[in-house]
Amino acid sequence: MKWQFSNDAPIYTQLIEQIKVGIVVGAFPPGERLPSVRDLATEAGVNPNTMQRALAELERDGLVFSQRTAGRFVTEDKTMIEQAKRGLAERHIKTFLEAMIRLGYRPEEIVSLLRQETGEEGSANGGSGM
Amino acid sequence: MAVLECKALTKNYGHLAALDGVDFAIEPGRIVGLLGPNGSGKTTLIKLANGLLTPTSGDILVCGMAPGKETHALVSYLPERTSIPTWMTTTQLLDFYQDFYADFRRDAAEEMLQHLNIQPRQHIKQMSKGTREKVQLIMVMSRAAKLYLLDEPIGGVDPATRDYILSTIIGNYNPEAAVVISTHLISDVEKVLDDVIFINQGRVMLQSSVDQIREEKGMSVDELFREVFKC
Amino acid sequence: MLRKLLKHEFRATGRIMLPLYLILLATAIGANFSTRGLLETDLKVLDLLGGLLVMAFAVAIIAVCVMSMVVMVQRFYKNLLQDEGYVMMTLPVSVHQQVWSKLIVSAVWFALTIVMVCLAGLIMAFDIDILEGIGEVFHEIFQHVTAYYALNGTAIAAEFLVVCFLGCCAMCLHFYTALAIGHSFSGHKMAWSVAWYFIIQFAVQFVGGMLVTLLDESWLHHLLLGWTDNISGMAAVHFGMCVLIVGELVYAAIFYFLTTYFLKRRLNLE
Repeated sequence: MKWQFSNDAPIYTQLIEQIKVGIVVGAFPPGERLPSVRDLATEAGVNPNTMQRALAELERDGLVFSQRTAGRFVTEDKTMIEQAKRGLAERHIKTFLEAMIRLGYRPEEIVSLLRQETGEEGSANGGSGM
Repeated sequence: MAVLECKALTKNYGHLAALDGVDFAIEPGRIVGLLGPNGSGKTTLIKLANGLLTPTSGDILVCGMAPGKETHALVSYLPERTSIPTWMTTTQLLDFYQDFYADFRRDAAEEMLQHLNIQPRQHIKQMSKGTREKVQLIMVMSRAAKLYLLDEPIGGVDPATRDYILSTIIGNYNPEAAVVISTHLISDVEKVLDDVIFINQGRVMLQSSVDQIREEKGMSVDELFREVFKC
Repeated sequence: MLRKLLKHEFRATGRIMLPLYLILLATAIGANFSTRGLLETDLKVLDLLGGLLVMAFAVAIIAVCVMSMVVMVQRFYKNLLQDEGYVMMTLPVSVHQQVWSKLIVSAVWFALTIVMVCLAGLIMAFDIDILEGIGEVFHEIFQHVTAYYALNGTAIAAEFLVVCFLGCCAMCLHFYTALAIGHSFSGHKMAWSVAWYFIIQFAVQFVGGMLVTLLDESWLHHLLLGWTDNISGMAAVHFGMCVLIVGELVYAAIFYFLTTYFLKRRLNLE
């Protein structure tokens, strides 16, 4: 997994986000054990306390759970992972929309632009994949 | 109890005040950045904590004790410059640390040395400057100390080495200990810090947690530092 | 902890001194060959070789003596006052243990150097007769001392050894004090150290001179005269030795105090 951090938000919130992505894309598969806090922290190059805080937060949300001796595991609840995926998607869409509106696009224009980019619009009739 | 505590700590060199009434306390389990421009008093502070200098006035306490041979057993210190005896072989250096420090984890040290492909019979003086620095860091981080005092551990090294050094620190420190990292290269260490202490011209300008700075000011510690120390 | 300091101190110095001793003994064997014939042959080459071997022996003796001094001084300043000082002065040991480990190791090397030079001399002159002769001479000296002065030869020998050890410590501490004071300055540390060596030298001579002048004809002088008049030759020797020992002890103690004070309170590593 690749870890990247921006300057404007606390590190632990960025960690939460990136671990969520890891779970959604299957880098941390459902039901699997997560690496130890120290290993994860070393890998991400962050303070173990910060990693601990991020994982505790994820645990409160239910995406990971800990078993007293065995460590921390990713939830097996697929719908919960789906929900997380949806949540992440909404966040991305929201920032995207904000940026487009700042550029002066109206919602209909944005939708048609999106269609064009993804190849769904009839410009190259029938040339669309799915 | 605080692992490192300064009370009205002052150190003068002649008429020059290197530290001027410094007050702070560092609790166990925290990784603390001691941040300030060159010549701000970082090294003086760390030397005082190691008993290499004597305060002009005020107190500096390590686990409640003034620096001395009792605190030396609790503190693992990485000086600004490489200072391991160069005539020794790697094995002799391991013997040395094992003899003097009850908390030295020889297995951990040997594993890390092996990872760097350093031979047990190799003399320190045959190693490159960069390798010597790494070897000393390995010795320092292989102790299960109560306080790690790391003076400019990433000053003047390439980015790959910097990553190696930081991950060695994170991967090996004793979680019940406090780690103090002094540096002026803030963006590089920011992610590994819990707290920061800004120091300038011998005075503490700010003590805060990294999360708090990012949450309240919406900027990184590096950005805040540039703002506070704007020339 | 002193034991561990000593162990590593011997490791650090032994790697220099032991090979030197080996070289010394080897040149002694060479010199032995030359004295036993090479120099008296008619062959010019062998003559030259013999001369060179004897010269090598002389150089080796000087080198061993000089190096034992150099090692003593260098171990103190390189190990405690230069970069290595960062590691050494933050070990969980006291400054006293540091100084003692240096003192003891230096004294051992000095003693060993004397033994080795004597041994090398014997090897060079090796000849059964000579060895026997020397043994007899020593035996006689000892017996004479015991017999003539009705004196305890063993006690004198012990006192002599103590005087030597203290003298050796005092000499080392003189260097240590100068280095410790000189290196407490922020610049020109080595120049200051040399300067302080001579300042101390001067001070010692000055104080010594003052004492002699002041005590001359004083109550102490008369007291001593009174005593020495009344005691036999034997006791006078003991008395002299004791005075010497006490004098050296005071002298060394002052240096010791200064060295440890400056290492503890005025340390100023670069």
